[in-house]
Amino acid sequence: MAELRAAVSGDSAQTPVVVAGGDRDSRFARRMIIVGATILSVVALVAVFAPLLSPWGETEIDPANTLVAPGGNHLLGTDGNGMDIWSRVLYAARLDLGIALAAVALAVVVGTLLGLVAGYFGGWLDDVLMRVVDIFQSFPTFILALAVAALLGNGTINLIITIAAVNAPAYARLVRAEVRSLRELPFVDAAITSGASPVGVLWRHLLPNSLTPVRVIAPLNCGWAMLTLAGLSFLGLGVSIPEAEWGAMISLGAADVVGGRWWTSVPPGLALFVCVLGFSLLGEGLQDRANAKRR
Amino acid sequence: MRIFRFVVRRLLQLIPVLLGVVVLAFLLVRVLPGDPVRSILGQNATEEDAAAARARFGLDQSLWQQFLDYLRGLVTGDFGTSIQSGNSVGSEMALRVGPTLELVVIAVSIALVVATVLGIWSAKRANRVGDHSVRMFALVGNSIPEFWLGLVLVLVGYSILGWFPAPNGRVDPDTNLTPLTGADLVDAVLTANGPAIASAAAYLVLPVLTLVVGVVAPLLRSVRASALEVLHSESYAAAKAHGLRDRTLHYGYLLRATLVRLPSLAALVFGTAIGSTVLVEYVYSWQGFGQWALRGLLYRDYPVVQASVLVIALCYVLVFLIADVVHAILDPRVRL
Amino acid sequence: MLSIENLSVTIRRPGRQVAALSGVTFAVRPGEVVGLVGESGGGKSMVARAIVGLLPGGSHATGRVLFGDSDVLRMDDAALAAHRGRGVAICFQNPRGALSPTRTIGKQLVDRLATHQDMSGDRAREAARELFEAVGIRSPQRRLDAYAHELSGGMAQRVMISLATGCAPDLLIADEPTTGLDVTLTREILRQFRHAADTDGRGVLLISHDLASIAEVCDRVVVLYAGTVVESGPAAQVLREPAHPYTRALLRSVPDVGGRPVVATPGAMPLLTEAPENCPFVARCAHADRTCSSRRPGTQPIPGGREWSLACFHPQTRPLDADLPSTSHTPDAGDAQPAAADPKPAVLEIEDAHVVYRSRFGSGGHHALRGVTLRLAPGETLGVVGESGCGKSTLAKLVMGLVAPTSGTVTVAGQALVKQPGRPRPRGRALRRARTRAQLVFQDPIGSLSPRRTVGDSIAEPLRAAGLSPAQREERVTAVLDRMELDRSILQRYPHELSGGQAQRIGIARALVGEPDLIVFDEPTSALDVTVQAQILDVIADVAADADRASVFISHDLATVRGFADRVVVLYLGRVVEEGPVDVVFDTPRHPYTRALLGSAPRLGGTAGADGEAVELVKDLEEADAATGCPLAARCPFVTDRCRSEQQELQSYGESRAACWRVPELPALIGRQAVTP
Repeated sequence: MAELRAAVSGDSAQTPVVVAGGDRDSRFARRMIIVGATILSVVALVAVFAPLLSPWGETEIDPANTLVAPGGNHLLGTDGNGMDIWSRVLYAARLDLGIALAAVALAVVVGTLLGLVAGYFGGWLDDVLMRVVDIFQSFPTFILALAVAALLGNGTINLIITIAAVNAPAYARLVRAEVRSLRELPFVDAAITSGASPVGVLWRHLLPNSLTPVRVIAPLNCGWAMLTLAGLSFLGLGVSIPEAEWGAMISLGAADVVGGRWWTSVPPGLALFVCVLGFSLLGEGLQDRANAKRR
Repeated sequence: MRIFRFVVRRLLQLIPVLLGVVVLAFLLVRVLPGDPVRSILGQNATEEDAAAARARFGLDQSLWQQFLDYLRGLVTGDFGTSIQSGNSVGSEMALRVGPTLELVVIAVSIALVVATVLGIWSAKRANRVGDHSVRMFALVGNSIPEFWLGLVLVLVGYSILGWFPAPNGRVDPDTNLTPLTGADLVDAVLTANGPAIASAAAYLVLPVLTLVVGVVAPLLRSVRASALEVLHSESYAAAKAHGLRDRTLHYGYLLRATLVRLPSLAALVFGTAIGSTVLVEYVYSWQGFGQWALRGLLYRDYPVVQASVLVIALCYVLVFLIADVVHAILDPRVRL
Repeated sequence: MLSIENLSVTIRRPGRQVAALSGVTFAVRPGEVVGLVGESGGGKSMVARAIVGLLPGGSHATGRVLFGDSDVLRMDDAALAAHRGRGVAICFQNPRGALSPTRTIGKQLVDRLATHQDMSGDRAREAARELFEAVGIRSPQRRLDAYAHELSGGMAQRVMISLATGCAPDLLIADEPTTGLDVTLTREILRQFRHAADTDGRGVLLISHDLASIAEVCDRVVVLYAGTVVESGPAAQVLREPAHPYTRALLRSVPDVGGRPVVATPGAMPLLTEAPENCPFVARCAHADRTCSSRRPGTQPIPGGREWSLACFHPQTRPLDADLPSTSHTPDAGDAQPAAADPKPAVLEIEDAHVVYRSRFGSGGHHALRGVTLRLAPGETLGVVGESGCGKSTLAKLVMGLVAPTSGTVTVAGQALVKQPGRPRPRGRALRRARTRAQLVFQDPIGSLSPRRTVGDSIAEPLRAAGLSPAQREERVTAVLDRMELDRSILQRYPHELSGGQAQRIGIARALVGEPDLIVFDEPTSALDVTVQAQILDVIADVAADADRASVFISHDLATVRGFADRVVVLYLGRVVEEGPVDVVFDTPRHPYTRALLGSAPRLGGTAGADGEAVELVKDLEEADAATGCPLAARCPFVTDRCRSEQQELQSYGESRAACWRVPELPALIGRQAVTP
């Protein structure tokens, strides 16, 4: 509801009085979605075509030029091992994007299934599942990720499992809550009285409707997964050098930053930031749109 | 007093949860791959050396016996002995908790105030330029890797501008600060040590700023969203249509209704901040709890990991308890 | 005081444009109650918003909204702030939502008093207490410290009225003030507005979809259709002999407890994108000719009527009753047999069923049904009436096997659908087939359709359980669509794309497609607009008349039940208080509660309650409790000690049965009550 504002002050009753607003909401949301999607498409393209775009190999060492400043042969300089920063920033998109997407997909599938079952059937199954979720959620997620990563050890698959395990409880809780509120709606009663089986009710009616909030959360979550992955690598619990990963690259250059040699840490961090921002923009835009629909 | 009864009941409910955490932490560290003893002995230690070291830390006994010993220690306030340093875990931890809490509490407090003020301001200007800028700021805060932001702030604030001290501690050792609580700014104020106050404050600026940027984003989004919801609500429209003054509307109908949902999120954010300190302390060489716990984890220092898991869980549930009480005070619909 | 002149509002948003109001003109004078009537989409709320200067974003408004000497549309912020509250105060449609949840209602009222009447401190609190008392809130001092969530619907509406009057406005606007309230409360709330006009000299604008119910307290009514004023005039006259075809359609769509049949008007209100060039009602009007579709009728005063005007080329002059069959008649009342004499096996049997909803934490629980016994034969239609909280919906769920009886038994076509003491229950596929023998039509038509499933999918759901092939399913679905007079193209659509009327036809189609033995209609029309309601009632009457199927029709509105039920059951706090053939119960009610219900139901033509013998219940429903004895004891004006201590059983009185031992004495008692009110 907007304030009434006279656009033209005149006596004539036929001059229309215009109340501003109404459409700017959706325009901003659309812009966020477009910008976010563009960023992510570019990152995805970079990941796919990294070999074509980078002058040096992912782990190629130029022993004569360690820690050289940007310019010349090395667009963004080299790190302490003599590896080309620019090339590695491009290559790193593969691991970062890949692990984050795979982890979130896994978390969504597992979390949704658990939430559906717990929410619909209730009873002891629900109690047990929710207590497990409670324990998971009584720790800060990053701390939990640290512990699970330490438990499982390094490796791409283990990192995917780690990040998925830390996120799945949130999806389980979200879907469970959604299912429980949907269950009270008349269309579920309608399905039951129409003779639908419990699996039919779950699969055909509750699942498609309970995914609405998941769709909005998942992009935001992808960004968070990337930050977690980078954070783990930064502390030495994730991807380790010489593999190209933004967090590990920042970690490698951290000591140089204090001495003013910014090019080892700043570019990978910037790439990570922009990529996460893409997910955030997309997620925020989708959320806005969902809110507008609900209103 | 209903709130008092509620708090007591919740504290009693904590006991089984914490007991569960104790058991889980105990088992968790023991399934971690890697041997804590090997890491302190070095390359050319013999099997006998290792066995002797194991016996020293009680690791040669049955799992059950180890657990009972650990529990017995806990009851008397003894967290065990660090395998790495050989010191008492309890006294090591006491030195480490203060600095970290100082960081987190200051950062979360600043973030809460900024989020409330900016969030409501932004919601009142929904979809104008100011609002869009606030939202973009929140998105950036949400997306920026804290450890990298920390590095960039060091680069700018220390390496280039030279305004802030190097990331090598929490207070200038020349100020001769006597540690009391471990939180240096608090200690400096308590001992009325002028130079130490200035130094501790200067050291705090960058790490706190780093944490605030990350922590303020979710709070800001939430405050803005609930303020918008209140502004769009029928009840606010009704108050407005009845011509109430702006001040009355703001303080009577917007503020409290907006803040109702903040406490539980603030508790969650407090937890996130504890997680973030692991990274931020690493960047600023802040000898705090996060770094201590991380090292324990990396070197499989069983007593250290157990103690830190327990403390984090305790801290987290206590913060949530406080949040629930504040929520109940703010929201008349909540029954304790 | 308020004079709206030629007000037009167009809302422009990207991708769509709506002409919400087109040339609306009317006035409200001090001390006058004006009713603004129409269906949703007619523009009633937009008028209210324009008056308080809160038009939605994207609005383009022309014309004038004169309040005193100044035009609200062209006021600056300061003038608007002064105008809101002091000039005009609104009572909102959903009072509980319109009260701030985190501030005590006393403080909210004091805020209004402080802003508009410069009161403060104890004086404001005292004034607040008095205002609460004036609107009929008991123990007002205590209530000052209550929060909105602690109030019942009726109480919240009273608080809302006190908040609005607390602003001391010149004009009071009430947006659908009685929606969701029970009939007995509706009258009381409406009287509050009459009171505000009579004693304080305020102008009152009452917005409602229900002309008949507000006409009693209004001086004049203004009828809106598709954003235009089609008729305005003295309330009594418009109600008795409406001149505009739409007003007539509106009135005829409302069933009446007297048994007058509903006449449905086909079609739906058009959604205009710009001001209409012709009569907006032309597509649905029986009197329409070429003039109507080419030109828009101007507003003309009606000769002989005081301030009576309408926008129509073909004004109707006969009283509304004249073109209706004069005899009270219910369709297919003749072919219904009393249940006891029917040899066919019962479709539905409920034996002494109790339902207790246990509260989550052990003790207590809500006793929703207390010993209900019903039997329904094929072809029979049973009406179930009662106010909110009487257990109607629980009864529907009980029949459908969605809740289990705590004690007692329920069978549909001889089979138990839920676990109940001492009965076998089919399982798996057999249970699913048994379930399809009874079907439910829901109150919320759109909400009862799965949001992400197509309409065709939803209709076919019962057939899926029966194991029909896709081809057979399609055949049955198209057959039932034809019966509901729906186009096939609707099968591919999703629920949010449907209008309420369409969605309810789909709901009925789904109930019908598996040819069940029993259909339960749970308040099927209460969420619909008046003329759509009439169309759906037509459809339901047709379905209920199927000879081999039994129907249960549940409603809070007695009039809709009378239309086509054979027998009627009156529920109060989970008990059957009266039961019998529908005409007998409605024409000669026995139980005091039935008498009260019938007495407060609105009637056309202004004839008050049943033969002027209305029973007035003394308290609100929310304050009654039924621990022992008669459930009505706390509210009944004829209560004795025996009523309070003794459980009342159904006893036969003539053709009907009532659970009240004082029935024989009641006529005399009611006479006495009328003399000394």
